[in-house]
Amino acid sequence: MRMIQQILGSRQDADLAARLHHLDHHGAVDILRVDGADVARRRLRAVTAGGEEIALALPRDQALFDGAVLLLEENRAIVVRVGAERWLQLEPKDPADALELGYHAGNLHWRVRFAEGALLVALEGPVESYLVRLGALVEEGRVAHSVVDPAKDAGGA
Amino acid sequence: MNAPVTAFPQPVTAARIGIGGPVGSGKTALIERLIPELQARGVDLAVVTNDLVTKEDAERLRRSGLIDPARVEAVEAGACPHTVIREDPTLNIAAGDDLEAKFPGLQLLIFESGGDNLASTFSLDLVDWWIFVIDVAGGDDIPRKRGPGVLRCDLLVVNKTDLAPHVGVDLEGMLAEARRVRGDKPVAATNARSGEGIAAVADAIARAVLFAP
Repeated sequence: MRMIQQILGSRQDADLAARLHHLDHHGAVDILRVDGADVARRRLRAVTAGGEEIALALPRDQALFDGAVLLLEENRAIVVRVGAERWLQLEPKDPADALELGYHAGNLHWRVRFAEGALLVALEGPVESYLVRLGALVEEGRVAHSVVDPAKDAGGA
Repeated sequence: MNAPVTAFPQPVTAARIGIGGPVGSGKTALIERLIPELQARGVDLAVVTNDLVTKEDAERLRRSGLIDPARVEAVEAGACPHTVIREDPTLNIAAGDDLEAKFPGLQLLIFESGGDNLASTFSLDLVDWWIFVIDVAGGDDIPRKRGPGVLRCDLLVVNKTDLAPHVGVDLEGMLAEARRVRGDKPVAATNARSGEGIAAVADAIARAVLFAP
């Protein structure tokens, strides 16, 4: 098991990018896939796409991100790929419904982002378990809902 | 016999784990059992307890004789316990940093949440991995209620298994339901009074964050 205790930088950093590009041509860049829900973990046990077991133990002031370079050796590199997070997009019909929706989302401690005219809720379970909590707001059509899945949208699947 | 954790490579920072769950489910009792179990495996550990407006749980652990009292720090939430383990865990992070500075070589920090409800969850800014403790006497319908604590924790512990026949709970049914709602995530059954099931919880901690084989 390989222990990793620091992030070397981003794959977009100029000096790292050149070396990664070279290694990539030789098929020597391994990927560590990390779920969106796990990206905040400083300590994680995981297996890379190439099958190597990793023990990740980052300092408290570092966190994983998409493109984090964990290893860069002459013949091998490991780069993090963060799984796209799914969001429930909720669009209230009018300001009164928006206030009510905001109250529920706060009361339920959902992780949210704001978009134009919509509230985005990070999905950490089935969509239905979120919609049922909104009760009449959803049943009466006062809040419209859809799922934003960047992985599907990007892949066109 | 489990291999001492010093037998495998250890990081320079301490792992941080959380233990949450409803009032009276046995969080402190579980920690009292885990301390000697982990110490026997050579784990260098410390504990941060959270209480509402007292330092009751910290005092209990300090008096227990199980651990150097200086290795136990208390955080008073002063409000709903989840506020200091999720919304703003600054006080707990500071207490953990303090213990790590005081005890170089520390391998594991355990954060015990104050007793809360089934919606309680830990921020991953505070801990790397967390346990949610429920108990048989709380009712066998608790897993079915699918609280975020029950669903999202890394390990669900169902404690007080010895009480099942006395409170009319079908233990096997309760465990099966817990496994069903949690999908692939693990469930452990313990009796923190007798020590039954504690080794399996220590194994899970050692494997997840201390990188035991």
